[in-house]
Amino acid sequence: VSRAPAHGYAIVTALRDRSEGTFDLPEGTVYPALHRLERAGLLRSSWSHAGGRRRRVYQVTGAGAVALDSRRQDWREFASGMQAVLGWSA
Amino acid sequence: MSAPTDPIEAYLDQLLARLGGRARDVRRILAETEDHLRQSVEEAMAAGLSEEEAAREAVARFGSPATVARRFAAGSGWLPSRRTVVELFMAAVLLGGIGFTAIGASGLVAQGMGTALGKGFVSGSGPYTRYPANRCADFQEYHPRPTCEQAATAHHFDEVVTYREAAGILGLIALGVYAVAGRRRGGGSVPLLPDGFVATLGAALFGAAALVMLGSCLNQVLAGSSAGMGELLSGGAVSALVAAAFTVELLRTLRLRAEVAPG
Repeated sequence: VSRAPAHGYAIVTALRDRSEGTFDLPEGTVYPALHRLERAGLLRSSWSHAGGRRRRVYQVTGAGAVALDSRRQDWREFASGMQAVLGWSA
Repeated sequence: MSAPTDPIEAYLDQLLARLGGRARDVRRILAETEDHLRQSVEEAMAAGLSEEEAAREAVARFGSPATVARRFAAGSGWLPSRRTVVELFMAAVLLGGIGFTAIGASGLVAQGMGTALGKGFVSGSGPYTRYPANRCADFQEYHPRPTCEQAATAHHFDEVVTYREAAGILGLIALGVYAVAGRRRGGGSVPLLPDGFVATLGAALFGAAALVMLGSCLNQVLAGSSAGMGELLSGGAVSALVAAAFTVELLRTLRLRAEVAPG
């Protein structure tokens, strides 16, 4: 969703595919998270019509993009620290 | 209208029955859920499953209606999380335990006042109080004294001391339960309630109780009578001490927060 607006089904599928099956969550639990992020102002959503069906499409807000960058940076530092502690090579 | 055995329709019915909150939010959740399930069915059918199999698989992959509804409820703000409820309950046990123990302590103080200043100071009746004969007989049965007023004073003194000390024992039990439960829960997780929550409530509640009771005592002094004043004075003094202890704890918490607060 950070790259382009996406609906819930596409987000769930991307999450599963890009994690190579690691994040194979009950699909319905992704929607509460999307709603929470929207309430926090990090996502916004609107209805769109595709294939005769009405669907909710999500996109990242400005605040969401900033928060995402910050979380990415935090995660990189954490992962790099863990790799150093455990003696892995990246 | 779809057949009642359609797994997706049945799922939406079950989810609707479990969702709470604003009607608009519920409609949106159901619309998103149905869109997701229908698309899931289309893709599974394209991969070779029958419509029935695809619908059952889509519903299974979505998660149980109870789980999904609970996730929505936990994030919607209209229902507190289980952890919040447990923390609020434990805060109530702590405050209740301290409150009842303080009542017990005020019973001991009242007993001391009675010993030092006479029972009339704690439980004496006002100058215009008159008891009917049947009440006097009751007082005299358990506390035989030369006059009805003296018997009433002894009776009420026993009540003040005994009931308060019994409350104190309950308070100590509640504090014991709190300590044991706190040890079993451990201290690993970050509390959801804000720092100083119990101290703020405690300082406010006990401070208000102290003001009311000590204010009544002052009023009685101004009216020129000390009979029975010890009952409220003992409670007010202990409440003031507990409020002061909570205030010290609150100030300590605020000082620590100021040290780590940014800027």
